Amino acid sequence: MNSKDSLSNEKKLDRRDFFRKTAVLSATALAGTSIFAADDPAIIGKPEWSQKWGDPVTTNLYGLPSVYEHNVTRRSTELLSSGNFRASIAVTPIHESKGIITPNGLFFSRSHGGVAQIDPNEYRLMINGLVEKPIVLTLAELKRYPSVTRIHFIECPANGGQEWRAPQFNSVQFAKGFMASAEWTGVYLKTILEDLGVKPEAQWMLSEGGDSSKMGRSVPMDKVLDDAMIVWGQNGEALRPEQGYPVRLLLPGWEGNLCVKWLRRLEFAAEPWFCKEETAKYTALKPTGKAVQHFYANEVNSTVVSPSPEIPWTDLKDGAVVEIEGLAWSGMGTITGVDFSLDGGRNYVKAELKGLVLPKSWTRWSYMHTYKKGEKLLLTSRATDDAGFIQPTVDQETSVMGVESVYHRNAVETWEVTENGEVNHVQIRS
Amino acid sequence: MFKLDRKLMISASVFTAAALLVVGCAGSGTGVSKSCSTSGQASIDGGVFYPAVNGKTGPYLLDSKASGMKINNGRIPTANELKAWDTDVMADGTGLPEGSGSASDGSDVYDAKCLSCHGDFGSGGAGYPSLAKGNAYTLKATLLSQRSVEGADGPVRVFGSYWPYVSTLWWYIKDGMPHPMTGSLSDDETYALTAYILQLNEIKIDGVLVDSEYVLDREKLLKVVMPNVDGFEPKIAGPNSLPGIRAYYANPSNYGAQKVKSSERCMTNCQTSTAKTVYIQNGGIKDFIPPMATARDLPKVESKEFDPKKAYEENCAACHATKSMGAPMFGDAKAWTSVKAKGMDTVYKNGINGINGMPAKGGSTLSDAEFKSVVDYIVNASK
Repeated sequence: MNSKDSLSNEKKLDRRDFFRKTAVLSATALAGTSIFAADDPAIIGKPEWSQKWGDPVTTNLYGLPSVYEHNVTRRSTELLSSGNFRASIAVTPIHESKGIITPNGLFFSRSHGGVAQIDPNEYRLMINGLVEKPIVLTLAELKRYPSVTRIHFIECPANGGQEWRAPQFNSVQFAKGFMASAEWTGVYLKTILEDLGVKPEAQWMLSEGGDSSKMGRSVPMDKVLDDAMIVWGQNGEALRPEQGYPVRLLLPGWEGNLCVKWLRRLEFAAEPWFCKEETAKYTALKPTGKAVQHFYANEVNSTVVSPSPEIPWTDLKDGAVVEIEGLAWSGMGTITGVDFSLDGGRNYVKAELKGLVLPKSWTRWSYMHTYKKGEKLLLTSRATDDAGFIQPTVDQETSVMGVESVYHRNAVETWEVTENGEVNHVQIRS
Repeated sequence: MFKLDRKLMISASVFTAAALLVVGCAGSGTGVSKSCSTSGQASIDGGVFYPAVNGKTGPYLLDSKASGMKINNGRIPTANELKAWDTDVMADGTGLPEGSGSASDGSDVYDAKCLSCHGDFGSGGAGYPSLAKGNAYTLKATLLSQRSVEGADGPVRVFGSYWPYVSTLWWYIKDGMPHPMTGSLSDDETYALTAYILQLNEIKIDGVLVDSEYVLDREKLLKVVMPNVDGFEPKIAGPNSLPGIRAYYANPSNYGAQKVKSSERCMTNCQTSTAKTVYIQNGGIKDFIPPMATARDLPKVESKEFDPKKAYEENCAACHATKSMGAPMFGDAKAWTSVKAKGMDTVYKNGINGINGMPAKGGSTLSDAEFKSVVDYIVNASK
């Protein structure tokens, strides 16, 4: 019981009672701590910033994070890199993420031929093939179409893909950070096609990048005419070069590589293309020897974010009430719930969803826990979506997909809390 | 556009039936209907379809007047513009130009422009993909291998054993290779390189093994049947592909997903008695760049002095420390003496612009001055 709870039961509490009661409660609460031991220099002292002029407002006219936040960065590793970090990925520090929006500078960055730096004045988008009127647009002309703004995550289908056989990353940034979320602004592709007219034979769209890798993917018309967008805005500003400046494709909920960056051409045809990145890669080999190709939507998924190896509980006091917080997401719809387990997925209870719950978007969830010093826990979360999907267990998923499929791993994740409060990435398998 | 019209004239009747299946989305004649609806409620990907109804889609409000507009934006591309950008190649040969090249010519192009990354005979190296690992027909059997057992060999997914179509290889080499100057090869060079990579994978065309004398052209390329052409699901080509894909993703057991009624999901005693905790072995992967840290402190001030040795290790050693790459070896006095004989100005210039298999500045982002100091470091260490 704390002072807040006791007060809420005392409706007729007068002012004098209030001070008397809280004084008693405070003394009780403080008795077990060493808070009287020393004065805190952060309070007693006068730091420079409290007395001297701050920076003029003309410093950093494009604002930057506090210099103290320098460890909050994307990170990469040799394992995931080729071409001197050109055909590579730098992943999002999701342990430092707040809410459901990733700052543009921390949005994970994946490229197949390096980050192209495109002059927007020289930017052109070509739309050709089975359309009534092929078209070339400048950036200004593209932006003249009526715009829509949507919050969606983008996830690399290899998120978690290094851990089919066993956990490998003792880090939530690397185990689950091949994704990020933003508010995107652009135009529905169907709006442009209403303007151009698409021929009825068209069943597929090639989306092709203008970067050195000429990243290409075939997209079925279902998605083109549903919620596919051509986007130029990200969290209220222009796309960052790492996100395809000035223009990328956005296929909400679908594999990140399908959301082609530095977009320069869309072509419509009756047949798909068999691009390099939809045959050689981004295909999920099953134990049958057959590989799933055109594996579109990132399935329902979730993870505990705090605690994590990056944010352990080593400083928690016995009896501390602590929020266990996580993310849930589904490329197939809207999160309907998250179940949470303290014993690695043997028994679950319902966690609480928090904030906005949007389709094909990150969704925050939490579970309040009273920490017992020395306790050993296995924290597991399991999300469901409105398409009816639930995250599989590791055993359920590998029984179908084997351990060589690389992509689309969405089995439940487990985080071990040791008796010292350290947190390790583990898996529960039979 | 121009490529597809021809194909459509040949087989228009086949596609008419297919077109009807997407008519709910595509409409007919007038372009796109306002509310695109696929068959039923499900999306092609197995997920939920959120229709636009009553001025909303999901939680988002829509400006209903913003759809169905004839905006008359942009302009029609010229024939030359289409020729420049509309360079895709489809599996049936649509877009594949005429041309030819022998595997032995391809080997020469390969050694000059590809070997520095992809290694001797396509063996791969320095983090770049292998292009061949032996006989493709034999290696296809490895696609059944699973490394669920420690020490087991996994599947070999190189071009020969895995890729379904050779058209993909030709197109990707032509438009996406070689770094750092993609799109720089002629059609004939691309045919030659394709022939060489087919040779490395021991592919047969019409029963004939591709050897170094083999001359590949458009007609022969279209006869290539890759060993793993039927190795993928769902089927995505052909007139009934979209309904097939919808059906595939409507069945979660095809792709390892689980569906359950909310009231029927397991909440208690959900594991078998054999469930155990699997830990990260040998410390796992932790060579993070930058190293993992969460402290809110002032960043350490890095020494601003340029370290040529460090720059060499990061940017040059991958090739110059490996004999197989064909580059002058670090520490090989004889090799570097003959390089130096060209005069240091020429050596700098060649390195900065790239020479033989070496990309400009070794593919690094060093400044000219930094690059020169790295060259000096290598030359001085190789006396």
